[in-house]
Amino acid sequence: MPQSDRSRSRRLKPFRLLALGLITLAPLVACNKETPKSTRWDQAASSAASAAAQKAEKKDTPPAPSEKPKEAASFNKFFPADGVDGTKRAFTQEKDTYAEAKITNNGKEMVVLSISDAVATPDVKDKFAKATEKLNGYPLVAVGKNQSALLVKDRYQVKASSQVLDHVARKSWLTKFDLNGLAAL
Amino acid sequence: MSESIHTILEELPQTSLTTHVLGALDWIVPGEWQNITTLQGMIESVTGETDGDLVQKIGEKTIQLYLDGEGYQRAVGLYRLVDSASTVAGAAAMANMVGSRFEILSFLQDVTPKPDTVQAIDAGVKFAAELACFCMTNGIPGDSVGDFVGALQSYGKEELMRIGAWVALDCVLPLGPDFLAKITESIQSVSEGELEDNRVFRFVADHLPGGIAEKKALIEQNIQSSGDFLTNMVESRGITQSGVLDRVREYIDIADDKLDAVAAAIDLSTNYFEHTGVQTVARRIVSRAYGEI
Repeated sequence: MPQSDRSRSRRLKPFRLLALGLITLAPLVACNKETPKSTRWDQAASSAASAAAQKAEKKDTPPAPSEKPKEAASFNKFFPADGVDGTKRAFTQEKDTYAEAKITNNGKEMVVLSISDAVATPDVKDKFAKATEKLNGYPLVAVGKNQSALLVKDRYQVKASSQVLDHVARKSWLTKFDLNGLAAL
Repeated sequence: MSESIHTILEELPQTSLTTHVLGALDWIVPGEWQNITTLQGMIESVTGETDGDLVQKIGEKTIQLYLDGEGYQRAVGLYRLVDSASTVAGAAAMANMVGSRFEILSFLQDVTPKPDTVQAIDAGVKFAAELACFCMTNGIPGDSVGDFVGALQSYGKEELMRIGAWVALDCVLPLGPDFLAKITESIQSVSEGELEDNRVFRFVADHLPGGIAEKKALIEQNIQSSGDFLTNMVESRGITQSGVLDRVREYIDIADDKLDAVAAAIDLSTNYFEHTGVQTVARRIVSRAYGEI
């Protein structure tokens, strides 16, 4: 061991000993047990990484002319007001073209509401082509078992997601948005 | 190439000293924290969806959003840095304490700050790091300061566990029941130069807006504006030094009775900010992915 390493080791030793003395893990069994890693996401991760790298390389070239997605902050005013039916609204995310608020009732999460602009991701609109329901004239679909989604002005996805409310109750939350205001944005 | 969020989640240990300590503190935020270490598990927790195709779609969008959004990667990076920085700060506090106990090391008192001051500044800066990570992960939601405070106070799951652990381990255990006053006083009285020398602050500083004076003011304001929320947590849950120590002792053997020694040792040996921070970032992106697909 080189001289400097030895002296550093000597300096650190009292602290190491103290730390060891102070804390020893009682249930040592099964600590840091190796678990099989999933391969389910590897392909997606690899594709996303390539796409991100391509995007980074092209960052100095002008973007293709298309309508610019609206920023998330412009969606806030169309959310249902705070205090509806005694609930509490807290805005929770405002990222790029996605705005989200959480509605709680007596401190428990009731429903997550969101608006996002799909102008740059047209494939997400495909599901509305098969919509059998409408709300205020806009196509409405159920996604999975816990989400109801509305497409306003063929670009804004307005969603209500909840593990405690059913589709009917979630639809009722969608009517509380200022949908006309959003359509006029 | 950046690591994928699913890999980062899977790398979290299922059992470790950190998970045991967090488990011991469950009584502070009952049932809020589960140790989710897979992307599928996180998707099911956030959305309640179990359909394979839908889960796959949400997962793929989550992976893409993480790689696209610089903020998410910076948040994970900062959660990691805060823990590795506080580990060193913990060692500094212990060195000082050793200095009080053993004359042979008393010279250390001249070069290390008083443990209370280290802990108080460390705690204040760590809380500011939480604010910085929140903004990197979620943007600045809403249109007013009130909206923003509301977002912080609507914390749940891993993020509430992290705040609970921070209150218990970084505040009450080492500093006692008047931790808020101690942190505020320490931040107020520390010079800008001393603050710049604080190891945790050095890691966090780049992520806070403004010059050194503004950063210092922000750390102070952050603690003060959250004072009621934190006091309420301590009072409603009955978080006391002996209570925290007793619960932690159910899971780990601690030979020392000196509370600041125990706090420093826990600080040195756990990484609960990183562990729950990774889970928080994953949860928020999954929620967004579910909203955007």
